[in-house]
Amino acid sequence: MSQQILVAVVVTLAATFCVWKLMPARRRLQILLALDAWSERRPGLAGWRTRWLKPRITRAGGIGCDGCDAHDPRSHRPPR
Amino acid sequence: MDALVESRPLRIALVGVPNCGKTALFNRLTGGRQKVANYPGVTVERREGERATADGRGLRVLDLPGTYSLNPTTLDEAITRDVLLGRLAGSAAPDLVVCVVDAVHLPIGLRLALEVKRLGLPMVLALNRMDVAKRRGVGIDIARLSTELGVAVVPTVAVRRGGADALIELLEPARWSNTRSAPPVWRQTTAEDAEQMQGDLRGLLAVTGFSAPRISPWIARIDALLLNPFAGLAILLAVLFVMFQAVFSWAAAPMDWIKNGMAALGAYTTAHLPHGPVASLLSEGVIAGAGTVLVFLPQIVILFFFILALEDSGYLPRAAYLLDRFMGSVGLSGRAFIPLLSSHACAIPGIMATRTIPNWRDRLTTIMIAPLMTCSARLPVYGLLIAALIPARHIGPFNLQGLVIFGLYAAGILSGLLVALFLKQFGGKRQYSPLMLELPDFQWPHAGNLLLGLWERVKIFVSRVGGIILALMIVLWFLSTYPMPPPGATGPAIQYSFAGKLGALLQHVFAPIGFNWQISIALVPGLAAREVAVGALGTVYAMSASGNDVSTQLEPVIAGSWSLATGCSLLAWYVFAPQCLSTLAVVKRETNSWRYPLIMATYLFALAYIAAFVTFRVMS
Repeated sequence: MSQQILVAVVVTLAATFCVWKLMPARRRLQILLALDAWSERRPGLAGWRTRWLKPRITRAGGIGCDGCDAHDPRSHRPPR
Repeated sequence: MDALVESRPLRIALVGVPNCGKTALFNRLTGGRQKVANYPGVTVERREGERATADGRGLRVLDLPGTYSLNPTTLDEAITRDVLLGRLAGSAAPDLVVCVVDAVHLPIGLRLALEVKRLGLPMVLALNRMDVAKRRGVGIDIARLSTELGVAVVPTVAVRRGGADALIELLEPARWSNTRSAPPVWRQTTAEDAEQMQGDLRGLLAVTGFSAPRISPWIARIDALLLNPFAGLAILLAVLFVMFQAVFSWAAAPMDWIKNGMAALGAYTTAHLPHGPVASLLSEGVIAGAGTVLVFLPQIVILFFFILALEDSGYLPRAAYLLDRFMGSVGLSGRAFIPLLSSHACAIPGIMATRTIPNWRDRLTTIMIAPLMTCSARLPVYGLLIAALIPARHIGPFNLQGLVIFGLYAAGILSGLLVALFLKQFGGKRQYSPLMLELPDFQWPHAGNLLLGLWERVKIFVSRVGGIILALMIVLWFLSTYPMPPPGATGPAIQYSFAGKLGALLQHVFAPIGFNWQISIALVPGLAAREVAVGALGTVYAMSASGNDVSTQLEPVIAGSWSLATGCSLLAWYVFAPQCLSTLAVVKRETNSWRYPLIMATYLFALAYIAAFVTFRVMS
């Protein structure tokens, strides 16, 4: 039974990931911006917003679905 | 307000003619890893990067598409002008312009610098490739140039570590904090303006003691040979031929290592995990699916080694020059060469690179045929089918498998040219826009660029295998496993699953072209990305396998159960089928309409079906 539950969790996560990656860029950006507006009012999530959410918002400004890595507008860590 | 302005990063725009080294300088300034190549038209979008500075304010650096003038003729040139003028929504004009001028070809870059200076923005001139200029005897009085232009002039060697240190020092925001400029002013250049600018340029070159670069007689001889319409074409074909031979010959050993590693992992998993869904998911979903795709990493690396080396050497623009007349005869713009060449890595940057084509109909034709160029995602599919169905023997000095893959690449190019010719015949009369190309100097490929480029490709491939491909394989495993077969069922379990039922349904459509239900299933997740089909075949066949060695089974299973006609039919399908949703999404964005991606998908699927049907029938 525990194997069944583990597999169900993995498959659900994988399916969610596929939907997310293959979603049109505009829809993904809308979801990320809604998340951004929601988390803005919660100071406890400030670190998560900076580290996780903001880079994804930048990437979602790319093109098409996220299934291809050919166009990634991320800027890299700034050197000193 | 002033304090606020001075606390934000200094915004710097890199401007210059194509192929003067802006992106190399951008990477040097920001630590970025944007693509650099020794040909014009690599950058078609603005790119942004950051650099920390001692005073904490930081730099925000914009890399702009190359342009010969601020009077744009193409979309990418218009982006450069609009960014400089602060016309793009949400971005003001830059605080400082770094005009990058190739010191070897000073006159052409300096002409643009004069034009940019007239905008009235604070400006610094970076004299790039000074090492090559010195080697080739180019004389420039830098101090005099700076005095005459009234801006700081800094020598740089963007491809060398430390080669931009003087520029970096000059760009400290504190130096520019008191520089205030009026909004940039631009007007269309008139004939009188152009004449005056040309006069100014001649005067500048004279007072700075500019002497033209020496041309090595050897380079001149090599160029004459490579640009010869007959010898040049023969050399181009030979280069491509060697490339595809190497893809199969050199990759064999490392592919075997990965294959054996996957087999060992599969055997270990089944031996050490209790029988049940977790073991099945790991061995038949993850290892047999995603692991089968990972095997093709060496071939991808070898293919890109050649492509990157050719890019960096300066050979590719010569190939563009050679093929220009031929491309014109089938109705393609001379400027279509670079986008079509980029499409051999991936159609997405290729389609974006069509922004350099000024005529809309020429651009649309190039967009429409870009997916026919064989992108690297097709390589795992070709590699699997060729290794399974074509014997690994030699015909004279040539590897037969290499010959077949050369033929498949040629089929992609040829069909693209035929579609362009068709559009020319039925698309009405149009004016041919010739290719204007500055041939870059020959150079040995830069080892750092090569390694960086290969590392980027490895990262992209591995992250796709570990990301979207792995996730799709897990979902496919679920669909191929559930629902379980009813008690007393005699056929393979997969036939009773969701995927099995879908495969049986799709087989009605694909049976006339020789595809069995396993192939029909694999084509569905393969729509997300072409190479997913390989993993999907691995998973689908592993679901009916009885042994432990699932990851190495695919090739022999295909060899044993498919006819040559079926294999060749699938190869023909993959030459044409638009099995990539990202490509269609990019076409929608670039054409701003659903009409063109729909037309593209329809005509490519129709071509794929017809080609596969004919291949299957002829070979049966």
